[in-house]
Amino acid sequence: MELLCLGLNHRTAPVEVRERFAVSSLQLGAAASDLATLADASEGVVISTCNRTEFYLAASDASQALVLLEARLTARESLDPGAASHFYRMAKSEAAVHLCRVVSGLDSMMLGETEIFGQVKQAYQAALAAGTTGSVLNRVFQRAFGVGKKVRSETSIQEGSTSVGSVAVDLAEKIFGHLKDSEVMILGAGEMSRITAQSLVSRGARSIFVSNRSFDRAEALASEMGGQAVRFDEWQRVLERVDVVISSTGAPHALIHRSDVEKVRRARKFRPLFFIDIAVPRDIHPDVAEIDEVYLYDIDALEQLASEARSRRQLQIQHCERIIDAELAKLNLPGT
Amino acid sequence: MDRWFLLIATLLAAIGWIWGMICVHRGTRSHWTVAWMVAALLCQVGFLAVRGQLRAACPLQDLGEMLVFLAWSLTFFYLLIGPAYRISLLGVFSAPLVVGLQSAALISGVLTTGPLRDLTPNIYHSLHSATSVLAYGALALAGVAGIMFLILDRQLKIHHLKSGLFRNLPPAHELLASLERLLWLGTGLLSLGVIAGFLMPRSTPQQSHFLVALAVWIGYAALLAVKTWRGLTGRKLALAAVAMFIFSLVVFARI
Repeated sequence: MELLCLGLNHRTAPVEVRERFAVSSLQLGAAASDLATLADASEGVVISTCNRTEFYLAASDASQALVLLEARLTARESLDPGAASHFYRMAKSEAAVHLCRVVSGLDSMMLGETEIFGQVKQAYQAALAAGTTGSVLNRVFQRAFGVGKKVRSETSIQEGSTSVGSVAVDLAEKIFGHLKDSEVMILGAGEMSRITAQSLVSRGARSIFVSNRSFDRAEALASEMGGQAVRFDEWQRVLERVDVVISSTGAPHALIHRSDVEKVRRARKFRPLFFIDIAVPRDIHPDVAEIDEVYLYDIDALEQLASEARSRRQLQIQHCERIIDAELAKLNLPGT
Repeated sequence: MDRWFLLIATLLAAIGWIWGMICVHRGTRSHWTVAWMVAALLCQVGFLAVRGQLRAACPLQDLGEMLVFLAWSLTFFYLLIGPAYRISLLGVFSAPLVVGLQSAALISGVLTTGPLRDLTPNIYHSLHSATSVLAYGALALAGVAGIMFLILDRQLKIHHLKSGLFRNLPPAHELLASLERLLWLGTGLLSLGVIAGFLMPRSTPQQSHFLVALAVWIGYAALLAVKTWRGLTGRKLALAAVAMFIFSLVVFARI
């Protein structure tokens, strides 16, 4: 029996192709059963996330099984034969190494992301429940989970925030601890503000105030986020109570000046205030950062931090791959 | 025997400190700092027990004993607050202060050799000494939390967020909350010490020591009053906690 992998991901296929092969989490077991019915195949697991769909199988004749699987997939999705160019094919140890890389987040769009571990585990458990795993896939997947854990614990592949939104949230947590007592004000109902504010809400931020020149848009975003709309000429009043301000208006000049913050310091009892300025031109005058309790980060500062984290993760890849090779070499896995 | 306890306690705290610094440098959490500090605390208790037996009274009769009692109090409050509020790094910052205080006590002449029994123990004197030194332990730890906050604040201000120290430092809000809690605890204990000081018989040299202690108490009480009613920035509160503790050391210089 040989281990095989056929798949496509964000690097090999555009989203319009990927979405045609996507399998919902509820259908993973059925998809694995379908895979195991292929001639020559006796075991199958299907992994499907927003960035990849992969078919793992154990078959007695690898090349034959791959041809059959490709033909079935292209026929089912009514794809032209050229669509096969989006697939990657791997066998034996190469497939096992690939699975370990996937589980460890090395093959993810966001290098080192942790969600993939749970997604692969869910796919494996669905196949296990459907009875489509056996001596080959059970050992390979269990080994891959062990390797994934080791990679995460022994390297810093998952350390640091790699997007502007997550950097902002991590900084907010470094200042305020848990965010359940924190209140957030959004100035300007733009997309970036919405994404960043959503990240803060997902980590427990208590309430959101949205202020925008167009009050209708403020109301729409506030209603979407379960917050409260504030008229644009009243944001200074709200500044007295909030802990985090996310600003991304289209104003051609600074909107928040040192004097605006100085006015409310006493009323705030000098509590820390975190400004996230993602507007270009900047909404918050740099002088504001000179106030003792203010922490000001503009888009360049946030992007630089995210970029540094991404670079640090890149530097960890070789270390992770050495761990994968060493761990796989320890065992003579079936099918490899 | 008492010196051996003190020496071992100092070495254990030094190991905890160095081990913690290595972990911080690597960017990992220092789980063993608590263990080293617990061991140091046990040796401090051993030292104080031996000295207490020799004195047949609270071992707070000379500068050396006071320094060790202060180090014990600092370690005790760290163990009480640090792990509970997940401020493990507080141990890494407290350990050097413990090492410093105990090393000072180990300097020849600071700790009385062959201490005499206290034949006329006074309850108010013992209460004054014990609660005051306990208070200074809490206030020292508040100073340590203040230093930690100032480092974190500086790193957040200048966007220097890559160091292992930054990753390991607890959130600013938790540091300030612990600092404030320790200031309240320390000032409360110091109040007891001051009240006991009023009640105990005092000689003329002790009068100036008592006045300095009273000034320290007024300083801390004023700091808390300002923080509570007017509010203070974290930076000013932390700076005041550090400055006040350094000033309070004058009390020990007057002993």
